[in-house]
Amino acid sequence: MTQSQFFTHLYIVGVAVVFSIVSGVPLGVCAYFFKPVRRVILTVVEVLQTIPAMALLGIIMVFLGAGKTTVIAGLLFYSLLPIVQNTYVGLSEVDVSVKEVATGMGMSRLYRLIVVEMPLAFPFIFTGIRIATVTAVGVAVFGTFVGGGGLGSLIYQGIRVQNMRMILSGTFALMGMAVVFDFVMTLVEKRLHRRFSSR
Amino acid sequence: MTDAIVRFLQLYQQRLIVAFATHFLYVLISVSIAFVVAVLLAILLSRIRGLASVLIPLLSVFQTIPGIVFVGILFLYNGMTASTVVIALTIYAVFPILKNSYVGIIKVDDQYKEAARGCGMSPMQILWKVELALALPSIISGFRISVVYTVSWAVIAAMIGMGGLGEIIYSGIMSNNNVMILGGAIPAAIMAILLSRLIDVARSRLLPRSMRRGIT
Amino acid sequence: MITFENVVKTYGDTRVLNNLSFEIAAGEFTVLIGPSGCGKTTTLRTVNRLIEPDSGRIFINGQDILQMDKVALRRSIGYVIQQIGLFPHMTVQQNICVVPKLLRYDKSRCDEIAHEMLSLVNMPYEKYAHKYPYELSGGQQQRIGVLRALAASPPIVLMDEPFGALDPITRSILQEEIKKLQRKLNKTIVFVTHDMDEALFMADKIIFMEKGNIVQMASPEEMLENPASELISSFMGKRVRGSDQSQKTAADVMIPNVYTCYRDYGVRESIEIMARRSVDSLVVLNPDQTYAGTVSVRTIRDDAKQHKTIETLIRQDNPTVFTDEDAQECFQKLLDGSYGYLVVLRSDRTLAGIVTKTSVARALADLVWGDNGSDVI
Repeated sequence: MTQSQFFTHLYIVGVAVVFSIVSGVPLGVCAYFFKPVRRVILTVVEVLQTIPAMALLGIIMVFLGAGKTTVIAGLLFYSLLPIVQNTYVGLSEVDVSVKEVATGMGMSRLYRLIVVEMPLAFPFIFTGIRIATVTAVGVAVFGTFVGGGGLGSLIYQGIRVQNMRMILSGTFALMGMAVVFDFVMTLVEKRLHRRFSSR
Repeated sequence: MTDAIVRFLQLYQQRLIVAFATHFLYVLISVSIAFVVAVLLAILLSRIRGLASVLIPLLSVFQTIPGIVFVGILFLYNGMTASTVVIALTIYAVFPILKNSYVGIIKVDDQYKEAARGCGMSPMQILWKVELALALPSIISGFRISVVYTVSWAVIAAMIGMGGLGEIIYSGIMSNNNVMILGGAIPAAIMAILLSRLIDVARSRLLPRSMRRGIT
Repeated sequence: MITFENVVKTYGDTRVLNNLSFEIAAGEFTVLIGPSGCGKTTTLRTVNRLIEPDSGRIFINGQDILQMDKVALRRSIGYVIQQIGLFPHMTVQQNICVVPKLLRYDKSRCDEIAHEMLSLVNMPYEKYAHKYPYELSGGQQQRIGVLRALAASPPIVLMDEPFGALDPITRSILQEEIKKLQRKLNKTIVFVTHDMDEALFMADKIIFMEKGNIVQMASPEEMLENPASELISSFMGKRVRGSDQSQKTAADVMIPNVYTCYRDYGVRESIEIMARRSVDSLVVLNPDQTYAGTVSVRTIRDDAKQHKTIETLIRQDNPTVFTDEDAQECFQKLLDGSYGYLVVLRSDRTLAGIVTKTSVARALADLVWGDNGSDVI
C-alpha cells in the first residue's frame, strides 16, 4: 500500500512541477520583457501562494471536482511564485554591461534572451524550481483531502485509525522524498552556478 | 448560485464568525510565541555558529514533516485540545522566523559592529541597535512567511475537530457542499492575504528608506 | 566614411548633442575626448544606434544608417566597452565567434577566425580558446573583447573607454597593441577616452567636445601646437608647447630665495652668513628693502682696511634686470659677462631674486620634461 501511494505522490509532484516550469518560466520572461504586465503577474503569483494550501485546493475542487487533477492544479498554482519570481529576478540581475554588449554587437532581442540572458539566469531559475519542488512535496500531502491519494492519505489514515506505523512510514517516506529532491537538486544547482556564473 | 451563497451566509453566519475568530486566534497566539522564541534562538545561534550549522539543516528537514503528522502524533499524547493545536502551530511557526532572523543577523557586516564597539556601545546595545536593526528586513520577511504558513497549517489542525475555518472547509468537502467549501476557503484566503498586506505596510513604516527593497 | 550631419540629441532640458557635424575618413583612428557630460560617449553610441538621435543624419559610406535595420547595422560594426562584457558562460572561442555565428558563418570558418584572431594578440589557440573569461586576467579579457569586435572583419570599430578598467601598465601595453593592430588591419576606429595621454598617443585625429559641441577637431600635433580653447590647454597640461617660449621672463627662470644682508651689517657678521650658507657673496638691501648692491668675500679680502660695517664695500657692478624682462636676454647677459648671477628687481626696486646659469637650466628642464617636483633653490 505504501508503494502505490508513494508513487502517486511522486507522480503528482512531478507532473505539477513540469507544468509549473512550462507555464512559470514564460510568465517570468513576460514579466521581464513587458513592463505593464509585470506588476500584475508578480502580484497574482504572490497572492496565489499566500492563499492557504487547503483553501486553494478546496476552491479548485469546486470547479474541477475531487481527484488527482485538482491536486496537480493546486500544486501548479502554488509552485508558480518561486519559479516566476526567480525567472524574473534572475533575468534582471544579469550583468548590465553584458546585456549592452550583446545588443551592441547586433543580437536581436530574442536571440539575446535565448543565447545570453537565459543561460546566465538559469542557475537562479533552477533554484526557484528546486524550492518549488521541495515545497510541492510537502503541499501534496493535503491532496488526500480532495481525493488525490498520495502519502497524505497514508498519514491521515494512520491518524484516523491511530496506527503509529502508518503515520511514521508515511512521514518518513515524505521526508525522504523531500530531502532527496533537495539534496540532488542542490548538487545540480552548485554545478550550474560554476558553469554559468562569472566567477 | 447567488441564492445559495446568500442562504449559506444567513444560515452559517454565526458559525462562520466563530470559525474565523478561532482561526485568527490560533494564528495570532502561535506566531507571537514563535516570534519571541525564534528571535531569541536566532540570537543565541548567531553566537554559537558551529551549533547553527548543524541545527538549522536539521530543523529544515524536520520542517518537511507535514503539520498534520505532527498534530496527529501530538493528539495521541496530549489529547484533542486547543493547546495541542497551538503547540503544534507554534513549533512550526518558529522555523521560518528562526532561519531568516539567523541569516539576517549573520549577514550584518562586521565593520558595523566594530564601529559600534568603537563608539562605546555595550554588547547589549550593539545587539539591539546594530545587529537586530540591520537584520530587521530579514526578520520581517521570515515573520511574514511564518504568518502565511501558519494560516495554512491552522486550517489542517482545525480539520481534526478543533474549530477554525478548516472545519468548515472539511465539512463542505465531506458533504459535497461547494458553497460551504468556498465559505471556509475564501475567508481563509482573505485572512492570509490581509495579514500579509498588513505586514507589508508595517514593513514600509518600520524600515528606514535605505533598507527597503522592491521584491521581498 | 562616417559622416554626421546636424545630429541633435536632447535628454530633458539638456542638449547632449548639439548640432553635431563632422566627418571621419576611412582607416583613421579618431579619438573623442572631453570633460564628463560633453557627449563623447553619446556620440559614439549613435554610430551603432544604441542611442537614436532626435534629428540630423548619420551616413556610413554614403548610406543613411537611420534608415537601415538596426540589428544588421550593429553586426557590421565592432563594439568594445569599458567593462569588457565577455559572456561568462561562453569560452574564449565562443565569445570571439559570436558575430560570425550571428552572420551564419559555418563552423570551419568560425574555427579559422578564432585561430586568426588569437594569433593577432599572441594568445595561442591551444592554450586559450577553451578557457572561460573568469580564468583570464583583465588585460587578457579585454584583448578577447577587442578580438570579438574584430572577428567578423567590420570596417568600423567603436571603443568606449576600453582600457578604463585596467591597471596603468596593462593599459599602456594594450594601447600599443591596439594601435599596431589598427595600422595592420586598416580599420576605422572611433575611440572614446577622458585620458589626454591616451588620446595623444593613439589618435590620428582628436575630436575635443564640450557640452555637446565640437570645440576642436585636429591631429594631436596640431592640437598641442594650437589648442583652440583654455579648456583644451588645461587638458593638455604641461604638454602644451606654446610658441610663447620667448615670452618667458626673468621671473620664470630666477631663484626667489636669495641670501641677503643689510647695509649696516658688520663685516664679521656678513662673513659669518656667507660661511654658513656656503656662498661667496650676498645681496645687500637698504633698510627700506630696496636693492643696495652686493658684497662679496673677495672685496672684503682685497680691501685691507679695517671696516666695521660692509657699508663701504658694497659694489654696484652686478648687472640687474627687472622681473618682466625677457628670459632669453637674461641668459644671454649671463653668458656674455663674467658675472655669476643677475639680480632681479621688481619695479619698486625691491629684490625679487637672482638668475644663475643653473636656475635657467632648471627652468628649461622643467619645461621640457614636466613637473618632477623639482624644487628650485
